[in-house]
Amino acid sequence: MAHSQSPPALLWQIQNARNHAEQIELLRQLKDEVIGDVRGKEKWVNHGILQSLVHLLQQKPTAQSPSGLGSKEAYAPISQTTDLPDDDRVRLLALQLIASFAKGGPSFLAPLNAVGVVPVILTYICPRKNPAQLVLTSLRALSDMTEAASLSSRTSTEDTAALAKALFVSRYIDSLCAILDAESTSSIVQEQKCLVASLISRLCKEPRYQDMLADAGVLDALATLLASFVVARGEVLPFTLDTLEREGLDAVIPQPAPRGLSLALILEAISVMIADSRFRTGLLLCSPAIMAVLISSEIGERKSQIYRTWEMLKKGGLTYGRPVDRSAIDYLLPAVPVTTPRFLLSQHPPSFPSTGGSLETPAKHTTRFMTKDREWLVGSGDTDEPESPLIPWLIHLMRSSTSDHEKVMAASVLASLFKGGFTSPDREFSLSVLVVPVLCHILKDYEKESGKSLDATFVDSETATAWAILERTPAVLARLIADSVFLQQITRDSGALKLACKLLKDSYEPSATQSPPRPWTPNPEERRDFGEDGFSACQLGPPGQVPACAHKIRMRESSLKLITSLATFKEEFRKEIVEQDILPSVAESLSETPQKPTPPKEKPKMEEDGAVPIHPAGHSPYGHNPTSVLIAACHAVRTLARSVSNLRTALDDNCVAMPIFKLLKHVDIDVKIAACSVICNLLIESSPMRDPLIKAGVIGVLCQYAKSDNSGLRLNALWALKHLVHMTDRDTKKQCLEELGPGWLIQLICDDTEDEALHARVMGERRHLTDADEDEVMDTDDGYAEATDDIWQWQAIHRKGPGFDSTRMRVADGMLRALREREFDEVRKAREADLAIQEQGLDFIRNLISIPNQPAQAEMVDYVFSELGQDRLFDILASKLRVKVLRPFARRQSSSSGTPGGGAGSGASGRNVSIDSRVLYPQSKIIVAVIYFLTHIAAGVPRHRQLVIAQTELLKLLAGHFNDKDVDVRRSLCHLLKNLVWCDGAEDRLGRDMRVFELEKLGFLQKLEGLERNDAELDVRERAKEAASSIKGEAGDGPQVPHGRVDY
Amino acid sequence: MDIHRRIQSQTSSTSTATPSKHAFETRVADVKSPKSDINALILDYLMMEGYPKAAEKFQKEANLKPKQEDPTINARQEIQHAIHVGNIQKAISDLNELDPGILDSDPHLHFSLLRLQLIELIRNAKGYDPTAAINFAQEKLAPRAASNEQFLKELEKTMALLIFPPDKLQPDLAALLHSDLRRNTAAQVNEVVLQRHTERREAAIRQLVRMRAWAEASCRSKKRNLPDRIELGLNNGDDNGHEPMVTS
Repeated sequence: MAHSQSPPALLWQIQNARNHAEQIELLRQLKDEVIGDVRGKEKWVNHGILQSLVHLLQQKPTAQSPSGLGSKEAYAPISQTTDLPDDDRVRLLALQLIASFAKGGPSFLAPLNAVGVVPVILTYICPRKNPAQLVLTSLRALSDMTEAASLSSRTSTEDTAALAKALFVSRYIDSLCAILDAESTSSIVQEQKCLVASLISRLCKEPRYQDMLADAGVLDALATLLASFVVARGEVLPFTLDTLEREGLDAVIPQPAPRGLSLALILEAISVMIADSRFRTGLLLCSPAIMAVLISSEIGERKSQIYRTWEMLKKGGLTYGRPVDRSAIDYLLPAVPVTTPRFLLSQHPPSFPSTGGSLETPAKHTTRFMTKDREWLVGSGDTDEPESPLIPWLIHLMRSSTSDHEKVMAASVLASLFKGGFTSPDREFSLSVLVVPVLCHILKDYEKESGKSLDATFVDSETATAWAILERTPAVLARLIADSVFLQQITRDSGALKLACKLLKDSYEPSATQSPPRPWTPNPEERRDFGEDGFSACQLGPPGQVPACAHKIRMRESSLKLITSLATFKEEFRKEIVEQDILPSVAESLSETPQKPTPPKEKPKMEEDGAVPIHPAGHSPYGHNPTSVLIAACHAVRTLARSVSNLRTALDDNCVAMPIFKLLKHVDIDVKIAACSVICNLLIESSPMRDPLIKAGVIGVLCQYAKSDNSGLRLNALWALKHLVHMTDRDTKKQCLEELGPGWLIQLICDDTEDEALHARVMGERRHLTDADEDEVMDTDDGYAEATDDIWQWQAIHRKGPGFDSTRMRVADGMLRALREREFDEVRKAREADLAIQEQGLDFIRNLISIPNQPAQAEMVDYVFSELGQDRLFDILASKLRVKVLRPFARRQSSSSGTPGGGAGSGASGRNVSIDSRVLYPQSKIIVAVIYFLTHIAAGVPRHRQLVIAQTELLKLLAGHFNDKDVDVRRSLCHLLKNLVWCDGAEDRLGRDMRVFELEKLGFLQKLEGLERNDAELDVRERAKEAASSIKGEAGDGPQVPHGRVDY
Repeated sequence: MDIHRRIQSQTSSTSTATPSKHAFETRVADVKSPKSDINALILDYLMMEGYPKAAEKFQKEANLKPKQEDPTINARQEIQHAIHVGNIQKAISDLNELDPGILDSDPHLHFSLLRLQLIELIRNAKGYDPTAAINFAQEKLAPRAASNEQFLKELEKTMALLIFPPDKLQPDLAALLHSDLRRNTAAQVNEVVLQRHTERREAAIRQLVRMRAWAEASCRSKKRNLPDRIELGLNNGDDNGHEPMVTS
C-alpha cells in the first residue's frame, strides 16, 4: 500500500466505515502516514481529523462487553493487539493517533485542546475499567501532551497547569493509585507505572495536588515501589522477617521490583510529592512497606569487623557517631571519622550569620522549612527516636548506583529528609563526605557534555537524560545545602560554586533557533488551501521552543538556585560569586525578555531607561524567562545583596534596581513577593540604589502593597518600608506615613488581620454548610472541624485493615497526626502571619522616630503622635503586653482545647482548635518591638521621657516582663530604663528625680538588681548593672539607642 | 573482575594447541567458569538479538529456567525479517503497531528506514520508470532532509542511484544496494526497540567482548606480560558468520 489516499477521502471512509475491521484498517493506514511526519500531521489536523478521533473515543463500550478486563489482560503481550476486541482496537488506534499528534510539539496543543481531548483520554486511564493497552496508550498520550506543554514558550505554566488541573481530581487520582498498586509483573504494567510516576513528577507541582495525592495513597504506593527496589537489590536484612512476623507486618514486604520499572522515576515522583512538606516526608518514612523493609533494629552481631572499626574510631575520638544507635543499613556505608570540630556543623543552624554586612531579610518567610521548626520535632531528630534506615539506604544507593539519574533523585529525596529534620544530628557530616561530593562530581561530568551542538528539533534519549540530570543537580544541591554553612563550604570546596556560575553564563549563550523551523514542502501552496475558516480545532497553535532552548531556561533557574544557596551565609562566597562576573547574567534573568548579558563597562548609559529591545519578543536568541527564572533571580540578588560591599559595587554597577522595580509591578503575585524581598535589601541606608528607587516611585508601590490581601506581600512591603524610613530625611518619612495612611498603620499593628480573615472565611463556610444540609450539621457541634481535620485517616492503616496494630505503626500514626496538625493548622499560620506584620509595623514606627539629632527627633515624635493619636498609640502598645481575648462573646470551645497558636509553649492542639473565642498571650518579639519603640522616644527630649513615665499602666505591664524567657526582652528593658533616667542638662534635673521616683515606686530598681545578680546571660547582667547605676545616679553616658538588630 | 576472568577462560577454552603455555594461559586455564553462566549468556544473546525459536529450543536443551518473557521478541524478529527481505513498508507498519512512539521520537531511525524504502523503490524500478521513487523521495524524504545536513547528504547520495547503471557503481554507492545496509538498519531497529522496552541496548555478551578488548588493550599499553596473541576462540574453525561479535 504505497499509495496514500487524499485526506478528505480517507477521513470520510473512517467516519463512515461499515464495520470495525474496515475502520481498523483505515486507521492503521492513517497511523503509518502521520507517525514521524510533522507536515503530515499538520495536514491532517487541518482536515479536522482530531474531531473524528475524539468522536471515536467517546463511543463508550457497551455495558456488557468488558471483554476479559480481569488481571489476565495485563499479561497480554504488547504486540498482539489482535487479542483485543475490535471496538477496543479502534479506540486503541485512536488513542495512539492522538499521542502521535501530541508528539508533533507545542503547536499541536491548541487544536488538541480545542476538541477537548484531555477529558476524553482521561476516561481511559482507569485500569479497572479498561484493557491494559488502552490505559498504557492513554497515559502515553497524556505524557506526550505534558512534554509538548513543557516546550510551549510563553504560557508554559498555563498549559502544564491545565493538564494538572484536569488530571488531579479524585476520580483519576484513584486510577493512578490503582495503576501503581497493581501487582502484575508484565512489562505493560511496568511502563504504566513509569508513565504515572513521570506524570506526577512533571505535573504535581502545587501543594494542594501533592496533598490530594498523598491523601489518596499515591505516596504510599510509590513508597511501596521504592521498597520493592530494596528487595530487588537484596538489601533487606536477614533478621527483618522475624521481627515482622512478630508484628504481623510480614505481608507488607513487596515483591522484588520487576524489570522495566525505573527506580529513578519512582524516586523523582516521590521527591516531587514530598517537596517541602514535613507531613508528606513523614508519610514517606512511615509508609508500611518502607517500615517493613527497612527496620531500624540494631545489628545482632556485635563482633563484626565494621562494628569494631566504629568502636576504634570512637575511642580515638575521631567520631561522634554511636554505632549502637545506628541502623544495620548504616554498616553498608563506610565509617566516617568526624575530624571536623563539631561547632562547624550546624546543630543549631545559625539563624543569623555573624559576618559583618549581612542583613536581616524576610527570606525565611519564603522558604517553608524554618529552622525554628527543629525545636518542635515529633520524635525525629532528637536522640531517643532513631532516624529511619531509609536515610542510610538512600546514601548507600547514591554510592552504589550505576545510574546518575538515580543518584541525583536519591539525593533529592535525601534533601527533603534532611531539611525536614528527619536525620540524626551527626548525619550532616556524612552528607558532607558521602553525598555532596558525589553531586558535585556529577555536575562536573555533565557540565562537560552540555556543550554539544545539537540538532534543533530533535533530542535523542541519551541527551535528554543527560540534560535532565544536569538541570536537576544544581537545584537538588541547592536544597540540600540551603540551611547548612558547613555543607555550603564543602560544596564550594568541591568546585561547585564556579561551576554554578559557569552554567549560568553558559545558559546565556545565544541559540540559533528558538522555535522549530517549519518543514519544507514540495508544494508550498497546499498549506493554506485546506485551512478551514479559522476553526481552532483545525489550526495549529504557536510553535513553542526547541528542546535545547527550554533546557537553557531550566539551567538558568537551577544554577541561580545554587548560587542563591551558596550566597546565603558566607560573605566570602558572595564575594567569590560576584568575582565570577555573573552579575550581568543575573541582571538579565530579572527580565522577561533578556538580552545579551553585558558587563557594566560596555553597557551604554542610555540603555538604562528601557531602551528598545534589539530583538522582538519571542524571537530573542536568549529566550524568554518564565516566572520561575524571575523568582530565582530575585532570590539570588537578595542573598547577594546581603553584602554591603556588593550592594555598593557590583549590584549597583549592573543596575539591578530598575529591573527589580519593574518586577515589583509584575502581574504574578509570587514574583511581586520575591521582588519585594529584594527591595528590602536594596533600600537599606547604605545602599546607593535607595535614592534612584525612591525617585522611581517605590514608596507608592510599597504602600499600596502594604494594603494587599496577601499576607506575604503585605509583610514584605512593610518590611521594605521599615528599611526605607530608617535614617532618611524628614520629608521621605512623612511621605511614607502619609501614603501608608496612619489609620491603616494603626490597623496593621493593632488588628489580627489574618486571624479575622480566617474567621470570616470559616464562618462563611459554616454558614454555607448549614444552609446546605441543615439537619446534619445542626447535630454536630462544630461543623468546620468536622468538615476538614477530623476525618483524616492514615490511608495505609485504613486500607490494609487489621494486622497494622503493632506498636511501631501506632507510634508512626501518632507522629503523622502531629505532623499533619502542625502543617494544616490554619489558625496557627494566621497567627504567625499577624505577629510578623505587627512586629514590622511597630518597627516601622520606631524607625520613623529614630533620628540622631535632637530637634528633628522631637519634632518627628510629635508628628507621629499627632498623626497616630498619642493616647491611642499608647493604648495599643499596652494591649500588646496584655493577654488578649479574641472574640470574647463568641462560643467558647470546650475546655479540652489548649491555647492554640498562643504562647510559644503551646503546641497546636489541632483537632480541637476552635476559631471562635481564643486567648492570645503576648509574644516576646512584639514585646521587644514595643520596648524599643519606647526606648527611642525616651532617647529624645525630657518632655517625651516624661510622657513615657506618665504611662503608669504601660510601665506596670512592662514590669511583669522582667522574667521573660526571651533574652532580648530583658536586654531591651535595661536599655529603656537607662534612657528613661538619663538627665538632659540642669533643667532636666527635677524631671529626672521624678522619673527615678516613679520607677522606684513601680519596683523597677529592685527588678534590675535581680537581673544584675541572677540573669543567665552575661550581657544582660552587664546592662542591668549599668541601668541600675544610672537610676542610682552614678553614671551618665547619655541616652543610647541600642545598636544591632534594632536599627534595621 | 570475576566476569573478566570468566570471559577470558571462555575465550581461551578452545585454544589448546599452543605448544608452550604462557603464564597467562595457565592462569586462565585455572579459572573455572560455571557452565550455567555461559548458557545464560547464550540465551540472553538469542533473546536480545531476536531469535525466539532458537531461544526456546536452547532453553529446553540446556535445561534453563524460562526467563521473564520478552513480549517484543516475536515482533522484533518479524520486523527484522521484513527489513532483511526488503519489505520496508511492512517493517515500518509493524514497528508502529509494536510501539507507535518509536518513530515519532527518533527521526534518524525513521529516515534510515525511509531511505531504505527509497532504495528498494529504485531497485525495483530497474532503470525503467523512476516516477514512484522520485515521488516518494519528494513526499517523504525531502521535507526531512531540508532541515538536516546529514539527511540531505544521504538523500543526494541515494538519488544518485537513479542516474548510474546498477552494475557500474562507485563502491560507496554500491554499498547502498548491498544487503549489509539492510542488516545494519535491522540491527539498529532492534537496538532501539530493546532500549525502549528493556533499558538495555544489546546482548550482554557484546559488552563482555568489548570489555575483553579494552582489557587487552590497556594491559598491552601498560606492557604487562601477555601472550602475543590471545585467540578469541571463534576463528579457529570457520567464521560462522559471527562477525557482529567483533564489535570493538
